[in-house]
Amino acid sequence: MKKNSSFFKVLIGLFLSVCLLGVSSLTFAGELQRKLVQESAIEKIMRKGEMKIGIGIFVPWSFKDINGKLTGFEVDVAKKVAKDMGVKAKFVPTEWSGIIPSLLTGKFDVIIGGMGITAERALKVNFSNPYSYTGMDIVASKKMLPGATSIADLNKSHIILAVRMGATPVSAAKKYLPKAKLHQFEDDAAVIQDVLNGNAHAALSSSPKPAFWAADYANAIYRPLDGKYLYDDPSSFAMRKGDADTMFFYNAWIADNQAFLEEKAAYWFGSKKWAHLVAK
Amino acid sequence: MIHRQIKFRPSDAVILVLIAAFFGYIYYRVRYGLEYKTDWSVIPQFLIHRDPDTGSWAANFLLDGFVSTIKLSIWAALFASIIGLLMGVFRTSKILLLRMIGRTYVELIRNVPPLVLIFIFYYFFVDQIMPLLGVDEFIQNRSETGKGIISFLFAEEELFSQFISGVVTVAFFEGAYFTEIIRSGIDSIERGQREAAYSLGLSPLDQMRFIIMPQAIKRVLPPLANEFINTIKYSALASVVSIQELTFMGRSVIEATGKIFEVWITVSLMFLVLTMTLSLFVGKLEKKMAESD
Repeated sequence: MKKNSSFFKVLIGLFLSVCLLGVSSLTFAGELQRKLVQESAIEKIMRKGEMKIGIGIFVPWSFKDINGKLTGFEVDVAKKVAKDMGVKAKFVPTEWSGIIPSLLTGKFDVIIGGMGITAERALKVNFSNPYSYTGMDIVASKKMLPGATSIADLNKSHIILAVRMGATPVSAAKKYLPKAKLHQFEDDAAVIQDVLNGNAHAALSSSPKPAFWAADYANAIYRPLDGKYLYDDPSSFAMRKGDADTMFFYNAWIADNQAFLEEKAAYWFGSKKWAHLVAK
Repeated sequence: MIHRQIKFRPSDAVILVLIAAFFGYIYYRVRYGLEYKTDWSVIPQFLIHRDPDTGSWAANFLLDGFVSTIKLSIWAALFASIIGLLMGVFRTSKILLLRMIGRTYVELIRNVPPLVLIFIFYYFFVDQIMPLLGVDEFIQNRSETGKGIISFLFAEEELFSQFISGVVTVAFFEGAYFTEIIRSGIDSIERGQREAAYSLGLSPLDQMRFIIMPQAIKRVLPPLANEFINTIKYSALASVVSIQELTFMGRSVIEATGKIFEVWITVSLMFLVLTMTLSLFVGKLEKKMAESD
């Protein structure tokens, strides 16, 4: 019997300590949750009363108009997000190839800059639900590559594609035109110039820019897919990882503002009513 | 000085014609060979425009970028000179530890490409320092006039911390070049000068202040001026980390207009105005200092 009672004592002791651990971990979890909420980007934005937004410079997503004011689809969207939160929107124009490191090192709270969702990027940042779609478009040089009509015509090993460095056309090219070689540039003006100079066969970029190029240089380039897009590229808000609260807020905002988003997309991507904002 | 009659020889004419032909060919290629629509008329509106709110003439963002470049260069050059002065003295110190600190700094910076340094600095280093200094809180708590002064001296509120990162980055790597110039200046001063100063009972600090430095600075003025000009040029590198200076603004204009040549030529002319002014000024200063010898 003696042996047995000591066995029970151990059992009770074990039971008690498990209970104690459970309770303490419960309080710990509560503490942690409170801390997580406080530390989330969205809470910090509300506390500071201002939201820092990272954007690249792309026409017509976000660019400086002829009066030096930031404007574009993303600027409208980000301003509305900030307005709905009741905070000030502060834009930080950033070199596109360095925009993810800048977000990660806290130069701004969120990227609202038409960033396309790619698996590679999703390893580094969290994406919200898509809030707009842009078509990936192609223009080809009449001199270098006459008569191309399909993706297959472009997916050949001698073909050189001009793309903007660090932007979605790079991953689009690797996925849809894996055989072609890439020339990468810091900005789209250099991308199209490379094709015009006859150094590359075709250029990849998000619509509506390629259509404008094709109109401007009708004697030198054409759209081989005849107005059809390679695919529709979903773009999302990008934020730092491990911040579920912020993500849920943006998702809710996007779901709540579908009509606004559609109206703005029609204005910026479906029309050229904003053409007077860019230099004549 | 002997004034020689400058004669125009036939060979000079040949060279002139060759140079003209070369540029003529380049112009021809750009104008007709290249599929590119030259249009200079887009540029002026980015320099100066009518403010839509007030209706008066105001600087547009290319000129704003020019002003930012000047501000960035001045602050960076100022801090780089301070670093250079300090490290230059360290490099010539009698104390081994100080010499080692100076040497390590210079060799580390000098042997890494500036572009790489800028990335390392901007993404890793500055971020650890800025919260420590509390820059963001500091500027947020200023009054409206305080903010006005800060935006006049540095940059607007939302770009302030970025601007400071740019200044710190450029100053830190330019400092290494300033250090070497100052060191060579100090080393060039004859031993006798220091001994004479010592025998007059001057403290080591006073020896530096009154005897060594004034002579050293005068000797290294030409390379120093060169380094100031380099600081202006290197400030363009800061555009890769999104500092809103002239080069970055130039890229914004290119994105908006697609006019690569016009914009880059304009930007380089603006840089040229800045550096040439400085060159001329330093040339005058050198002459003045030479007279006082």
